[in-house]
Amino acid sequence: MAGIKKTGIIIRYVIAIGLLAIMVFPYVYMVLNSFAAWDQVDRKLIPTHYTLRSYEWLLGGGEAVIPRPWIHAFFNSVIVSAASTFLMMLFGVMVAYALSKIPFKGRHVVNNIILFQMFFPALILLVPTFLLVQKMGMYDSYLGMILPKALSLWAIFMYTNFFRAIPDTFIEAAKLDGASTWQIIFKIVLPMSKSITTVIFLFLFMERWTELLWDMIVTNSDRMLTLNVLLSQMFGPYGTYPGPMYAAAVLLTLPIIIIFLLLSKKFHEGMQFTLK
Amino acid sequence: MRHKGQGRLGWLFASPYLLYAVIFFAIPLVWSIFLSFTNWNLIAPTFNFEGFSNYIKALKNAGVHAAFFVTFKFLIVFVPMVVVSSMIVAFVVHALPKFKGLFLVGFFLPYLASGVVSSLIVKGILSYNSPVNIFLRHRFGLDIDWLGTPFSALVVVSVMIAWKFTGYYALILTSGLESINQDVYEAAKIDGANAWQRFWKITLPLLYPALYTVLILAVGVTFGIFTEVYQLTGGGPNNATNTWQMEIFKQAFTNLQAGYASAIAIIASVVTFISIYIIRRLMEWWGKRNGWD
Repeated sequence: MAGIKKTGIIIRYVIAIGLLAIMVFPYVYMVLNSFAAWDQVDRKLIPTHYTLRSYEWLLGGGEAVIPRPWIHAFFNSVIVSAASTFLMMLFGVMVAYALSKIPFKGRHVVNNIILFQMFFPALILLVPTFLLVQKMGMYDSYLGMILPKALSLWAIFMYTNFFRAIPDTFIEAAKLDGASTWQIIFKIVLPMSKSITTVIFLFLFMERWTELLWDMIVTNSDRMLTLNVLLSQMFGPYGTYPGPMYAAAVLLTLPIIIIFLLLSKKFHEGMQFTLK
Repeated sequence: MRHKGQGRLGWLFASPYLLYAVIFFAIPLVWSIFLSFTNWNLIAPTFNFEGFSNYIKALKNAGVHAAFFVTFKFLIVFVPMVVVSSMIVAFVVHALPKFKGLFLVGFFLPYLASGVVSSLIVKGILSYNSPVNIFLRHRFGLDIDWLGTPFSALVVVSVMIAWKFTGYYALILTSGLESINQDVYEAAKIDGANAWQRFWKITLPLLYPALYTVLILAVGVTFGIFTEVYQLTGGGPNNATNTWQMEIFKQAFTNLQAGYASAIAIIASVVTFISIYIIRRLMEWWGKRNGWD
């Protein structure tokens, strides 16, 4: 009886590991091909000869206008994603705190406008937002990529729900001790919101890091391209250099996976809240 | 007195949103409606008002027709695909006595992939001389032009997006499964219900809230497909994967017809809004009818 149960459990793990292997196979394929000898890229499921040539090509510069375009694009991605995500989180916390913890007239109006805007398909705003950014002189600049994506309705929504669950007594007590609103937010509210903050950060950063459409239409020059846009533009014309494209894909994917794995414990906790 | 101070503070803290809502929501929204009645082309210094001619032109355009139907084709192919795959993953993970969290983290990894990266990988795997195609050609004599055949292009894009979202949705479904009280199953077993009956009469109804969330999210994703299509098919072959975003992108930034693209965007938004509303209502009705909610 116990033996049968044990085999049952082993079978369950075998199935789970098999499924997981299928799901992560594209990543494995990407990594193996980034190290594969150039005549084997996309020719073998598991390459047999390996080389660092793709990475040398990628990090050495290739043949482009600006030196080391891939490294440059990587740092553009870092700047844009970090700034954008930081602002989305800061404004998310501020607005959510106002909506959940500051009883002011008009709070319901603001709340309703946000809900109204959330139901609006963002599609309709694409062309005029582009024109607006152009008119404001932010075309082909970091600001043009950052400011239109400096606020996330979803972050406000998540934080508002979470802050509502924090008892007001904590905040009242801090107020009696003479704490300012910013002190209350940074010393009391945010430390209680670590796991939800992790979830919000990961989703926002991931989405910003992998954005294509907006970063593509709002930039023009080589020195402004993000890594995602550069890869998007290159793997068509550079079809003859597939190896370096896989290396670039690794460069694009690795940071976000590392960040996710580092935060995965808190992420799992936070998800439990968001799913309630 | 105290309320007055609170009022100022409240508006101050809400001000980032209000500012943003004016600049990046209200103004573009009005501008979009205004543009849709003009023939402006993004470059010319002048433009004319043309009444509803952009809308009439859009309603006759093959690309717009395609976008309308392609979105529903994606709904029919992608949504069931991702629901089934995430259910399978959720049940497999749920059946594990230990390391559930670890497996869920693993299954979540595809969600982190950029659409550009998954497009690159799929393009490689499906290229003419790829191991997959050589195997199919030599073993079965099959010569499949994956991205050049309308239906298979649609399926390939659906699989890519399903791959990305499966782990995320499985996470939602697993937490739904965890919340089901195991005593219910024991009671049902004693009453003689078999596994099939237990699935339909217990698991599915109690999982319905999580399933509803997944369906709504998947429907939302369907109406926003762009990157994979832009990267791999450009909306083709023969408009078979031409989504709304793709059509608007082409008209606005390839053909530079800002006014016309705005008209299409407004039509797309109305269609999206109504479709999602109807789908939500249908699902709520279906849940109620079965007494699941």
